[in-house]
Amino acid sequence: MRDPATQLQSAVLSPRTDRLRSLLAAAWVLSLLALLAFLVVYPLLMLLLGALTDTNPVVDGFGVFRLSIHNFTTVLTNANVAEALANTLIICGGGTVIAVAIGLTFSWIVVRTNTPCKRFVAAASMLPLFAPPLVAGVAWVILGSPKTGLINTAFKWIGLDFRIDLYTLPGLIFVFGIYYAPYVYMFTSSALRNMDPSLEEASEVAGANPITTLFSVTFPLIMPAIISGTLLSFVVMLGIYGIPAVLGAPSDINVLTTYIFKLTNWSPPLYNTAAAVAIILMVVTGALVIAQQRVLSGRSFTTVAGKAFRPRSIDLGGWRWLTLALAALYLLVVVVLPTLALIIAAFRKFLFFRDLASVFDMRAYSLDHMRSILDNPLTINSIYNSVEVGIITALAGGALAFAIGYTIHRTQLAGRRSIDLLSTLPVAVPGLVVGVAYLWAWIGLPGGLYGTLWILALAFVARFMPDTVKTLSTSLMQIHRELEEASWICGKGTLTTIRSVVLPLASPGVIAAMTLLFVLAIRELGSSLFLYTSNTMVMSVLLLDYYEGGNIGKTAAFSLLQMLLLGGLIGVANWLSRGASQIGTTRS
Amino acid sequence: MQNKLKTMAGALGLAVVLAAGPAAAQNFGPPELIEAAKKEGKLVYYTANFAEVEQQVIKAFNKRFPEIKVEMVRAPGGQLITRVKTEAAAGKLAADVVDHSDRALMLPLVDLFQDYAPPNAADYRPDAMISPKLWPRATLVWSIAYNTELVKNPPKTWMDLTKPEYGNKQIGQVFAASGGTTWTRIMFERQVLGEDYWKKQAATNPVLYPSGAPTSDSLVRGEVSIAPLLYNAIYPKQKEGAPIKIFFAPEGAPVNPYATGIPKTAAHPNAAKLFLNWCLSEEGQTFMIKELGNLTSLKTAPVYPEGFDPKVVKVWLPNFDQYVKLHAQWVEEWNKTYNYRQ
Repeated sequence: MRDPATQLQSAVLSPRTDRLRSLLAAAWVLSLLALLAFLVVYPLLMLLLGALTDTNPVVDGFGVFRLSIHNFTTVLTNANVAEALANTLIICGGGTVIAVAIGLTFSWIVVRTNTPCKRFVAAASMLPLFAPPLVAGVAWVILGSPKTGLINTAFKWIGLDFRIDLYTLPGLIFVFGIYYAPYVYMFTSSALRNMDPSLEEASEVAGANPITTLFSVTFPLIMPAIISGTLLSFVVMLGIYGIPAVLGAPSDINVLTTYIFKLTNWSPPLYNTAAAVAIILMVVTGALVIAQQRVLSGRSFTTVAGKAFRPRSIDLGGWRWLTLALAALYLLVVVVLPTLALIIAAFRKFLFFRDLASVFDMRAYSLDHMRSILDNPLTINSIYNSVEVGIITALAGGALAFAIGYTIHRTQLAGRRSIDLLSTLPVAVPGLVVGVAYLWAWIGLPGGLYGTLWILALAFVARFMPDTVKTLSTSLMQIHRELEEASWICGKGTLTTIRSVVLPLASPGVIAAMTLLFVLAIRELGSSLFLYTSNTMVMSVLLLDYYEGGNIGKTAAFSLLQMLLLGGLIGVANWLSRGASQIGTTRS
Repeated sequence: MQNKLKTMAGALGLAVVLAAGPAAAQNFGPPELIEAAKKEGKLVYYTANFAEVEQQVIKAFNKRFPEIKVEMVRAPGGQLITRVKTEAAAGKLAADVVDHSDRALMLPLVDLFQDYAPPNAADYRPDAMISPKLWPRATLVWSIAYNTELVKNPPKTWMDLTKPEYGNKQIGQVFAASGGTTWTRIMFERQVLGEDYWKKQAATNPVLYPSGAPTSDSLVRGEVSIAPLLYNAIYPKQKEGAPIKIFFAPEGAPVNPYATGIPKTAAHPNAAKLFLNWCLSEEGQTFMIKELGNLTSLKTAPVYPEGFDPKVVKVWLPNFDQYVKLHAQWVEEWNKTYNYRQ
């Protein structure tokens, strides 16, 4: 660790680096590139190979495969794929607009205003993130099915003729949007928290009203976070399977992920075709990532400079009750209703409702589902495994993301563009297919990697690297160079500077990134499905088992358990991050 | 092999004679095997069946043999096959038993498996097997179920499912490409109920589901009112008190036997044999029929599921040659008929 650090310092500090220092710089970049090659490039090459052949590279060996673009031509000429692609773009596009609108408003309310109860609101608003997409889908089926949904049952009871139907494109857009609003919120709120409020004050002194300030100062200042959040939520939506699988199936609305899942699940399974569809998805995403880089490059987003500041709240006066009402409405729709649906499902013997009154018939409720999942020895096993994988992933992934983020944004080292590009690639690959790619890539490695929790953790670190690096980068980009320079002038080395200046200042971002990574690792299904073995069963796989077994009750009970667990752990992380950010503020 | 089978069958005949009462010891294998299995102490079990169902099987097996721990890996059919192939090719196949619902997918892998036959091998229907190495550990049967809260005039036959009165998304169906069990049903529909059955049934505009589990869940919730379902997917819900009635239609009951075998590379071959011996024994099969809602591929079923009268309902097994050969074309035709976009 010391060598690359020293080398980093040299690269940044003086343009006249001596021979040793430049060698070390090259070694640092090369080792990062080698790591990324192992984690990202090698599995993706296996995927590409899979898409270009009709064989399984491990089974048939590398010598015998027949290269052809047959899979691509099949896929590109299939009208259903075109339709699935169109649906995907419509749903993810619409969903992103809603997610950004909600997430941004909400992070402004929580971080920048004196809305009452905002701490509680902030904590509660993260709950949807803890629910796997599959569970979110199930919760919204219970609420919004045109025939049996609780909302429609309630409308009927009131005597309203209006019915909602979530088995439609607008329905899917709505659920995607509210489900990913917390994602945008995470990005933008940490940027808002790290922003020097004196710029806003200046705007107000100049006579601008709060709304004008918001749009002409605040939002433009955190633009990298907004753009990253927008892009990432769009791209993550591209890869989501659970929600469209549950809500789209009854009316036969296909998106690319559900199409890919079908390909892998047919008998016989068509992984090579699935790989080809996945590559198409990667091309779309790659284009978006490049577009984002174009937009962001050449602009400065520094908002954290050497001056001490305290995040301040805007006094909204009477308007704060309106923002509170907005927050309450948001919580009702995004948290309360779906959670209520899950609770009803978890404790009700059956989900058949004759009318609204039968919802309150207590005889229909029991602890059966809870008892039966706790009775299953796999439950405890999977919780233990998931938490272990989650922690390994968060620590290893967080450290790697910091190293990558620092190299990309705080140094001028040659090769950092490639590092940026490589670390962004995995975002484009849907989990189900990447699971096979990892299996193909890593099963043959000597040593006992396959069959351990480490292979799962490695896959998660690789798969979620873009999310983590992006979350971290927004914090890193905001720290002004002068802070590091001050430290160097005082004679501190790079390592000390990182530890005592950069890390504390970026700590809200680091903790946010690690928390996100932890949550994503515990939720992740697609890549786990191929890499788990009999004694490394994880929660997400068990959850799919319950769902595929047609046990909505047990699925709901198990996901409630998972949400409670994640909520508890995130609470601890949040508490830690508050401590850390306070230290950061004091030190600066 | 033949001789071995004969000896084993002989031994089994003796065992059946001896097993006068339910409490009498059944033949799960020679004492040396049981001893060796206990010494191995565990086995790794790959299955395409639902984890929860298989947990119950393992629990029942452990009542007999508490010394042997069964570690399960469960994955949907297509994914399980990919995993087995890839692990085997890398020399890292961890499974001691592989259990799969689609015999057509297992046949190409038959070389991975070792010779194995249970003590009661001769009691099994040969037409339920595709290789002497692969055994019908579980046998699933199709039934028709409806929600009693919603259906006042229930259907009584497969043909009733074509009636316009059940139209407009009242019926739920699993789509054809979903796997071996559904493929068996749609073969049955065309070969037994008539060339135009699909067309008439599709005219009722049914809701299509990817597999039996979401279908049975939707039936309980009332999203659909009637659905052909694997008996073992809906029976547990009825047993728990859901507003569901299930019947076996007189035209026939399509069944899908599993293919289950022990890989040559099994690290715990004796435990694997003992586990399969138990599953395939009368005790194991009776357990699966009574508790899980399976049928059996034993020539003489020890017991039938509730409502299954073998005098009225005939078991229908697909011709395996046609099962393999017709698949691609018929699934495509089914998709067209049901306007299902694949």
